[in-house]
Amino acid sequence: MTGVIDRARELDEEYGIFNALAESDDSMGGGRLEGVAVSVKDNVCVMGMETRAGSRVLEGYRPPFDATVVKKCRGEGALILGKTTQDEFGFGTFNVNTPFKVPVNPHDRERSAGGSSGGAACLTSVADFPHLALAESTGGSISCPASFCGVVGLTPTYGRTSRWGLVDYANSLDKIGVMGKTVADAALLLSVISGPDEYDSTVSQAPPEDFTGYLGNGVEGLRVGVPREYFGEGVDPGVSEAVWGAVKGLEALGATVKELSLPHTGVSLASYYIIAMAEASTNLAKFSGLRYGLHLPLEGAFDEYFSRVRARGFSEEAKRRIILGTFTRMAGYRDAYYMKALRVRTRVIEDFKRAFAEVDILAAPTMPVVAPRFDEISAMEPIQHYMMDVLTVAPNLAGIPMISTPCGRVDGMPVGLHLMADHMEEGKLIRATHALEVSA
Amino acid sequence: MKAVIGLEVHVQLETESKLFCGCSTDSEGAEPNGNTCPICLGFPGAKPKVNRRAVEHAVKIARALDCEVQPRFYFSRKSYFYPDMPKNFQITQYEMPLALGGHLLLDDRRIGITRVHMEEDPARLVHVGGSISSSLYTLIDHNRSGVPLVEIVTEPDLTSSREARLFLRKLSLILEHLGAYDPGREGGLRVDANVSLEGGQRVEVKNITGFRAVEDALNYEIIRQESMADMGISVMRETRHYDAESNTTSTLRLKEQEEDYGYITEPDLVRIDVDEAWIARLESEMPELPDARIQRYVEESGVPRFQAGIMVNTGLDLSRFFEESIRLFPRPGVVANWIVTFLLKSLNYEGLSLRESKVNPETFVELLALIEEGTITERLARELIKEYVGTGESPRALVERRGLASAGRDELGEAIGEVLSDNRKAVADYRAGQTRALDYLLGQVLRRIRARGDPVEVKRLIREALDSE
Ligand SMILES: [Zn+2]
Repeated sequence: MTGVIDRARELDEEYGIFNALAESDDSMGGGRLEGVAVSVKDNVCVMGMETRAGSRVLEGYRPPFDATVVKKCRGEGALILGKTTQDEFGFGTFNVNTPFKVPVNPHDRERSAGGSSGGAACLTSVADFPHLALAESTGGSISCPASFCGVVGLTPTYGRTSRWGLVDYANSLDKIGVMGKTVADAALLLSVISGPDEYDSTVSQAPPEDFTGYLGNGVEGLRVGVPREYFGEGVDPGVSEAVWGAVKGLEALGATVKELSLPHTGVSLASYYIIAMAEASTNLAKFSGLRYGLHLPLEGAFDEYFSRVRARGFSEEAKRRIILGTFTRMAGYRDAYYMKALRVRTRVIEDFKRAFAEVDILAAPTMPVVAPRFDEISAMEPIQHYMMDVLTVAPNLAGIPMISTPCGRVDGMPVGLHLMADHMEEGKLIRATHALEVSA
Repeated sequence: MKAVIGLEVHVQLETESKLFCGCSTDSEGAEPNGNTCPICLGFPGAKPKVNRRAVEHAVKIARALDCEVQPRFYFSRKSYFYPDMPKNFQITQYEMPLALGGHLLLDDRRIGITRVHMEEDPARLVHVGGSISSSLYTLIDHNRSGVPLVEIVTEPDLTSSREARLFLRKLSLILEHLGAYDPGREGGLRVDANVSLEGGQRVEVKNITGFRAVEDALNYEIIRQESMADMGISVMRETRHYDAESNTTSTLRLKEQEEDYGYITEPDLVRIDVDEAWIARLESEMPELPDARIQRYVEESGVPRFQAGIMVNTGLDLSRFFEESIRLFPRPGVVANWIVTFLLKSLNYEGLSLRESKVNPETFVELLALIEEGTITERLARELIKEYVGTGESPRALVERRGLASAGRDELGEAIGEVLSDNRKAVADYRAGQTRALDYLLGQVLRRIRARGDPVEVKRLIREALDSE
């Protein structure tokens, strides 16, 4: 598969996809992924391959171990192709918060590929060889770029896949998931990577499932809920229309549809950012230039050295999140922010549990808009960046599975349909999106 | 003025592997950073997993201190930047510790235990070429990173430095009985002490290693606070550092500079739910604790309580020594008496602990058997025990090699006969009523048998011989 590596290098030059690329084909073949190139988001460890999670502070870090998901792909015969571009540590929605390459949208090079798993979505769209992508979501980092690039992005239940080998953003939210050109692709890769792992205590003990078994099962009798709050102010009318079109499509295929309410949707964004930043600020503390990553000449006291390394190694968004995250967990503010955010999270989960007592899946737009242009993005304030995640953070906070699949276009750009299901119910998402895909 | 003292005791648990990874905790003779892995070095992508054995040890400690084990508990991240922390946060317990609300009995004083929780040890820092401030550079040895610690926090119930030392001794004895702690491990027990004078501000003295040092540090701190009060200066709420070499404390930081650790729950570890059956199993595995052991010595072996107390409180190895000795020589009263009165004294004189000495129960009871069979006198045994403790040589072999066995009846009779016939003047003096002559004759006989006999007994035999002459 050396030809694949050469082709990947060409695509990288054109679209800005890789932070590291395999030098040679060391795949073993002989499994469910024989002949398939699997790309890995930069924040997932690949033994011996530079793993920077999109940050300068990790320059030169070559992990001494493979992430569990990578190991499983190797075990099924895949070629581990390289490390795909992302926002630094996953801190972003447009994959522009990185000192390294910024991937461009394959449908319009003036527009963002989405983030934070931008390289993964871009490559999934443009690859002209058998390819599947390992991506990762904390608050929507699989769904968003999948939606913007017009590919399938599946974020599993929290704990469905092992996080061993993932460079942490916010451990209670991080989930390794998959992207593919088709639902079948995504179902196959999820089947390979899910299951218990002794190296991650938070992984579910449920036995691995073969998700490809749900393909072709149809949606007869499937109950689809449409949450009102997900079609409110700020959602592009064209996007709403495309998503409703897909919902009608499911109805035509035999599903039932009803509107319902998820009352805590509005406060989920604040809760999400507080928890994510609080955890992130502790995770990023370890990057101080002692044992791995960026090193500088040893001068002065240790705290002066730490400050120099961190000032140089982190970009602005990382520093912003470290400061905000540290603030929300300090003694005088902890109850008002961090503890309160945890309580709101419980409410958000209860919202979903109530909804799933009535319906099997929820349908919404993945993103309120299609991929914005880079000039639009640079005019945005940080808070406007965060607002873009308003539709994806709630299911991420709740740890429920979600899938984004293309459902039409606005201004020539892909629109994403977002389907969500109860914990461990990825099968229903695969059934529904596959039914739509084959009927199109 | 009365002192008010509370202790935070950090104990290194005796487990095979570290708290969150499989690395060995036994780093004696290991290369620096040899017992490490991506988990205890905090590599990006690595995640902790809880060592169940360490949790079990901690639960047993909590139960031995009569604490309530919480139905569920979890770990937290305590954030601060320091080179001994690979992740720049420590995984510890904060809101929901393992156990709450117990006590330890110090005779009839009840010292409250606030909480018992688990945490990981940071790395060992080696300051090369001086102290922390004068060294040229500092090396970091992560062999200690992630070693399981248990922190035991007391109520401010202790009232003197001596009581603090006694508390620590009792606590370490309990931990030793539980097999959770090795008193021989250097730095295995570290203490932070909170001390104030009644009505005054509280001062925390950090990182004191060893019982003796705790007593010294508290003495220094109490005197310091008393003399400040005498001079009308108010004590400030602060954290102080104890320097064992100079036996002084000095300001580390004032209250306003107290660090804020920004605790969050450790999201990589799941909550541990405690079920009753598990606690019951652990309780059933718990060994006899020191107080019960003393009671057993008194009730089953008839040992005086003060002797039983001394033996048990000296340490588990002495208790084991006693128990093995009475198995070999089933006269507990004699054994206990000889251990407490003579063995400990001789060890003390030699400056040895039982563990360091070459003494063992098999050879120790030889000494007692030699007395009982009349081979040597008790007085000689008291002399020999010093030599035995020093060299560890079997007392029976020693007596044989040096020909120290008491003179037998025949030898003694012969010696008396000879002395009486060689000293007719003394015999005549005795008969004339000079009792001092008998002492002279005794001296002569003892010299002839090279003192291998009980003087009282020998004197009786001489008198007998004179009367029948
Ligand atoms: Zn380790």
